[in-house]
Parts: sequence; structure tokens; C-alpha cells
Amino acid sequence: MNASGSNWVLDLLSRDSMPAPVDWVQALRRQASDQAATLPQPRRKLETWRYSRVETLLKASFTPVVQAPDISGQVVPAGISPYKLVFVDGWYSESLSHTDGLPPEIRIGSLREHLDQDSVRKQLGQLANAGENLFTALNTALLNDGLFLEIPDGLVLQDPVEVFYLNSAADTPQLAQPRNLILVGKQASLTLVEHYLPGQGRGYFHNGITELQLDAGSRLSHYRVQDEASTAWHLSQLYLEQDSGSYYHGITLSFGAHWARTEYKTGFRATDARCDLRGLYLVGDGQLSDFHLDVHHDRPACQSREQFKGLLHGKGRAVFDGRILVEQIAQGTDAQLTNDNLLLTRDAEVDTKPQLEIYADDVKCSHGTTVGQLDPQQLFYLRTRGIEKKQAVHMLCEGYAGEIIDHLHLPSLREQATDRMRQALERI
Amino acid sequence: MKAQQDEVNDLVKAGYEHGFVSNVASDTLPPGLDEDTIRFISAKKNEPEWMLDYRLKAYHHWLEMEEPDWAHLRYDPIDFQAISYFSAPKKASDGPQSLDEVDPELLATYEKLGIPLEEQKALAGVAVDAVFDSVSVATTFRQQLADVGVIFCSISEAVHEHPELVREHLGSVVPHTDNYFAALNAAVFSDGTFVYIPEGVSCPMELSTYFRINEAKTGQFERTLIVADKGSFVSYLEGCTAPMRDENQLHAAVVELIAMEDAKIKYSTVQNWYPGDENGVGGIYNFVTKRGDCRGDRSHISWTQVETGSAITWKYPSCILRGDDSVGEFYSVAVTRGHQQADTGTKMYHMGKNTHSTIVSKGISAAHGQNAYRGLVRMGIKAENARNHTQCDSLLIGDQCGAHTFPYIEVRNPSAKVEHEATTSKISEDQLFYCRQRGLKEEDAVSMIVNGFCKEVFNELPMEFAVEARKLLNITLEGAVG
Repeated sequence: MNASGSNWVLDLLSRDSMPAPVDWVQALRRQASDQAATLPQPRRKLETWRYSRVETLLKASFTPVVQAPDISGQVVPAGISPYKLVFVDGWYSESLSHTDGLPPEIRIGSLREHLDQDSVRKQLGQLANAGENLFTALNTALLNDGLFLEIPDGLVLQDPVEVFYLNSAADTPQLAQPRNLILVGKQASLTLVEHYLPGQGRGYFHNGITELQLDAGSRLSHYRVQDEASTAWHLSQLYLEQDSGSYYHGITLSFGAHWARTEYKTGFRATDARCDLRGLYLVGDGQLSDFHLDVHHDRPACQSREQFKGLLHGKGRAVFDGRILVEQIAQGTDAQLTNDNLLLTRDAEVDTKPQLEIYADDVKCSHGTTVGQLDPQQLFYLRTRGIEKKQAVHMLCEGYAGEIIDHLHLPSLREQATDRMRQALERI
Repeated sequence: MKAQQDEVNDLVKAGYEHGFVSNVASDTLPPGLDEDTIRFISAKKNEPEWMLDYRLKAYHHWLEMEEPDWAHLRYDPIDFQAISYFSAPKKASDGPQSLDEVDPELLATYEKLGIPLEEQKALAGVAVDAVFDSVSVATTFRQQLADVGVIFCSISEAVHEHPELVREHLGSVVPHTDNYFAALNAAVFSDGTFVYIPEGVSCPMELSTYFRINEAKTGQFERTLIVADKGSFVSYLEGCTAPMRDENQLHAAVVELIAMEDAKIKYSTVQNWYPGDENGVGGIYNFVTKRGDCRGDRSHISWTQVETGSAITWKYPSCILRGDDSVGEFYSVAVTRGHQQADTGTKMYHMGKNTHSTIVSKGISAAHGQNAYRGLVRMGIKAENARNHTQCDSLLIGDQCGAHTFPYIEVRNPSAKVEHEATTSKISEDQLFYCRQRGLKEEDAVSMIVNGFCKEVFNELPMEFAVEARKLLNITLEGAVG
């Protein structure tokens, strides 16, 4: 085994033949490609991969999607918003998307078509450093397309913007790598809903990166519903930086994929910003859900809330690793993290690791973790009221998951999420 | 604020109370470690062949291991060849038979520490197997313990007198392959304590060993093995201080506890070794492996520790809850000030049904101290109805220190319940104000609040230890107002 050992990545990189559309992206790609060749291969021995079996992913073979795929036969589900953008295998599909009626000041659509923008040139790759890990390097080295969204200062968009990530049918499993850049201007406000769906794909690997910049006083509600194919691999890395007084309200619901990992890496540029991260994961037979949070308080007086809840059934596995780092300068930090896990069956497994690393004294930080099963007394109470056991279990699970779902401020999305959860519980 | 800062500075500069060196002639091996060193140690102690084999096996394994670097600690690399691996105080040909035969200077040393053996004998009724550097020199109350069948002796003696017990249990909880420092200890351990409590016996007194590191550049490699047979009970106290030195001294001890059916072991530690000077120079490196095995059903192991000393603390007293209905407990207060660093916590492996564990960890960081809790709770597949509750609280005094929490929770059984809570804060202004308003000096108020913060842990200590620990905490934190 060589220094990097990641022949897997070298093999993937060697197959890309499509040149980058502009020179500076080509340079960015080349640099990432070099880094990918030297970065260590993820493995269980590394702390960040301690509990997630990544070895099987690194043995699977994928074909990078290097040009806009065939979209015939793709069906985009009815959305909850008048504005929707559709990506197939990470490539923007204008014909499936619908952006009419959006204020013209908003720049939105394919990243590939916005590469000449100054803001893109300035911000792309600023937060997601390709040298950080193999998957970021891989995404950058094959950077082709993704979502670009720039909201100008002061613009408040009432209707949510909805984004769908679909996959195309292919003989060999595909590697889809959307690269998203989202810039929210000062005092601007937006709700962004992202759906990760199978489309026609099977066994594909979604390796997505989203870079988010929130300027002073802005607000972004960012809801993500991961419902990939049961044969799919899903990795999302979100890099977030917030300016003073901004508010990021992020919720990820993780239902699909047999291997799913979401990483949040957040930081602050100035004081008094607030970052809320919430998540719900529902895993069953053969599924793994993994959440990694790296919340970096490096400015004073910022607030963060991290609340993640899991429902595990069958042979489902869940991993949670939440780290809050408070630097010495970050006095007045208020950070609270909780992670609750409900094990519904014998064979479910959970590994959780909430961490606090604190170098400032004037802080309020806490974390709490629980793992347990349904309270037999609560079940008994419902049974005495004439409710069937199955329904009683569903009621309790819904109540439990409701704590996350209720934070979605779009009623139609709340309903969708609840229905999706019921559907999964039905199978138990 | 300025006045407070001064007080903190005074505190940080305060010399180490127990910093003195006794001049006892030592039989010391020159620094260095190879097979000959191990053969020398083994020969010096007239060890049987199997013991030497065990040491050599451990040594060869150690050579292939890498020093762990995952802990939240920063220290200069340890040169294992610069350490002397054996140092025994001068002794009479067959060793002292009673206190009268003990080197008077040694006794004076204990007196300086405020723990005269006679007094302890008379007042506290505590039998002391005092370890001065590496060889036991005084053992008291042997007869009284022998009457009920309790074996309490140095491990070198036990190797000769009770080889079957030592051979059966040594390394059965912490195998020589366990970790880097445990392997080193297994290869070069000089001495330590052996305790065996026979079936159904409740040990009539609290057993206690005082450790002292005395010889400069001498590693201290203690080995403690406590076996509590069915239905027995023992409470064991361990406390230590060390003289002031500039060189970093390595301490890599191993403690193994074995509790059979219905047995209970209570192990309490007060650790106050030299923490280094105000620039973080010197101080003890404390890399300890402590583990208890609740082998029988309904067995119970309880660890209580008060850690105020050492430059580096790397210590995770653990419990393997193998027997059904067994109980593991871990109560800890860790204080870091100056440039001290502590990475400490526990591991609870739940294997049996209805096993319970409780973890209460209180970390206090002042000045440049770094304090990390690192713990693992693992609920195995067969751990039906197992239960864990973990509480980790950190208190920060000053804006240069750090407090960290790294809990690992692994659950393989749905009927297991695990709860983990952690908080980090500084001393509440409201509480301070309230106390000040009632006429308490700021320092007393802080001391009161901090003592309250640690109360849950102190309550678990045996009485004499609790008093000592409270005093120690007050001295350690004198003037450190947030």
C-alpha cells in the first residue's frame, strides 16, 4: 500500500476526460487532484471513521458522470413551491427546472454557467478545502456542476426554493458530485428545501458538497430530505460560515440510502450569529446513518443549538459524532447539543460521541445523550385506552420525531416528512 | 479583577508543599532498557522462571507497539532509554521485619508528609504497605489480616509465597498486550501490592498503600493486583506525593481488580504528585492503566479518584461488567492548574444482564490547565436491561484554561438505557454574589462553591480521605477566583 493508499480515488480521477470549462477551475481541479493522491485513505483506524464502515464504499466501483446525462423518462415529483431546480447526477437540468417568476436580482441555477461571476470565483473552494479530506478532494478534482444561488442584500423571498437531486439509469453505478455554492447577502432571507431522490438510479454514490456563506443579518432556513435509493451511498458535506447577526436554521431528515453520512462544518465570521442544526434519522435493515458535526465557535457571543434524534429498527445502525469547539476568544458562547436515540428492535445499533472542547471560561455549553427503547409504561397507558400496540408504537415514535419535524416551518413539508416516516414505520 | 489576577498568579507560583528529597542510599540501575535490564530486575527479585518469561514476552510485545497519541495532551517525547528502571532503598539483609528496622530517614519522610505509620496504626486502624520508590519496606497489621485469611503483601513477596494466585490472575484483566504503557509496565514493573480476600470475608480494615517517587530520573512502575473472592469486601486506598524535580518522571502503573460473585471492591485514589513549576517544567508523567473485572454475578467495583497532581495524567479506570447484575462506579475529581494536563475518564463495558454503571466526573481547570474527560460506555449484545448514567461537569477558572469532553457511547442492545449529560461553565456570578453578600470572603466563597461542585465525588471517599481531599482541593485552588 502506498502513502495514500487510495487507489480507489486515483482510479476515479484517471477516468475523467472532460476538461473544466474555465482555466481557474482547471487549476482548482488539478490542485485537488494532486491532494487527493496524497491524502490518507479513510479507514476505521482514523477517528472520523471509527464507527462507519467506509471500506466497502472504497471497494465499490463507480463511474464519474463527466457530462450532462440523459434525462429522458425522469419524473420530478410535485413540489411544494413554485420554484424548483432539478439536478440529475449532479448536473443541472434546465428543462426539468422551473424558475420563472423569481426576482431577477437572484442569481440561481447551474454553477457551471456562473463560473464567470466574480463572487463564484472568489468564494468557490474557500470553505471546502480540498486538502481536508479525500471526499472533498474528489469532489473538487472532478468539479463540473452544482447549484449556484446568490441572494442580493436585503432581498426577502417568501416562497421557498426547492431543489431536487435525481439520478439517471446506468449500467454501472454512477458517481454524482454536485458542488453547491450558496451566498446569502446582508439582511436577505430565504428558505431552501433540498430533496435527494433516487430518480432512476441504483447503487450510485452521491458525493455532494455545499458551501454556504451568510452575510450580516441574513437568514437561511435550509431543509434537506435525504431519501435516496436503498442501494445508494450518500455523502453530504456542508461548509457554513456566518457573519454577525445571521441565523442559519438547518434541518436534515435522513431516511434513505443504505449508507448515508452528513457532515456539517460550521464557523463564524463575526459575533452574535446563531446556528441551529437539527436532524432526524430513521434507519432499518442494512442501513447506516451517520452524522458528523464540527461546530467551531471562533468568535465571541455566538449561539448554536444542535439537536439530533434517531429512530432505529431492524438491523439499522446509526452513528453520531458531534463536536463543539470553543476557542479562547469566543467568550459568551452558548452552545447546547443533544442526541437521542430510540432503539425499536433487538438488532439495532448506535454509536454516539458528543464532544465538547472548550478553551474559554465565560461560556454556557452542554451536551446530553440518551439511548433507550420505548417506555413500556407509556405503551401500556395507550393500550389501556384501547389503542392497538402497533398504532401505539407509531404514536409514540411520531411524538418523538415530532420534536424535529415541528421545526420545519413549511406545513406541507412537515406533512410530507410525517407521511414518509409513517411509511417506514409501517414496515416494522 | 486585577487583584484576582494577582491572587491567581500567587497561587500559580506557590511552591510545591511536598517538594523535598530524602537521602536514602539507593541500589539504582543506570538508565536504559533492554533484555538485560529485565533480567536484572527479575534476578534482583529472585523471581521464578515463569515470571521472567512473562516480563520478556511483554517487553518484546512493547517493542512492536507505538506510543499512543490520541489523548488530548501535549508533552515532549519520552526517552525510554533515559529512564532508570530499578531503584530499591537500602535495606537490611532480609528486609525490615518491623517498623524499628525501617530506615529512620524513611520514617521521617512519611512524617513530613503527615502520614506517620505509627499514628495511622494507632488512630486510623489502617494497615499500610508503604512503597518507597519501588520496594515495599514496611508492612503492618499483617498478622491481624492473616487471622481472617486476607493476604496483603508486596507483589514480589506474593510471587514467592502465593505463586498460584499471582500466576492465575496477573495480567488477566490488563494483559501485557493491552496498551503501550501496560506492556512496558508488565516488562519492568518493580513492585506493588497484592491483595487477596478469601471467600465471605469482609476485610476488617481499610487497606492503604502510600506511593512515593523519590529517586531522580527513576520511573515508577507499580503493579497492583486485588482479588476479592466470592462474597468478600475490601476498601483500598491509594495516595501519593512526590518530591520536587526538574526532570520529567514517568509513572506507568497497572492496577488490576478482580471481583468474584457478590464481592465488592472499593478503590480510592488521591493523587498529588509534583505538577511541574509555573512554566510547566518538570512534573510527573502519569500514564496509568486501571481496570476492574466484575467477574462474578452481583459483583461490584467502585473507583473514586481525586487527581490534583502530575504534569500529565493519562488514566482511565475501567470496569468490565461481566457478571449479571454487576455494578461499576466511577467518581472523579480532576483539577488542573499551572500547565497541568489531564486526559482522564473511564470505560464501562456492559456484558452481563442487568448491569449498572454510574459515572460522575468533575473537572476543574484553572490558569493554563487542560482537563479532558474521555469515557466509553459499551452496551454489549447480551447486556439486557443494562443501565448507565453519566454526568460530566466542568468548571473553568480563568480564561486561559480548557475543559473538554469526549464521551463514546456504543449500544448493541435495545433494552439498555444510556444517559449522558455534560455541562461546562465558570463559577456562577450569582452564587458568588450571594455568598459575598452574606459576608464570606471571595476566596472562601469560591472554595465553598467548588467543594459543593465536587461533593458527589467526595461523598464516595472513605472519611479520612475525604477530609484530606477537601483540604487538598482548597490548597490547590487557593486564590483562584474566576
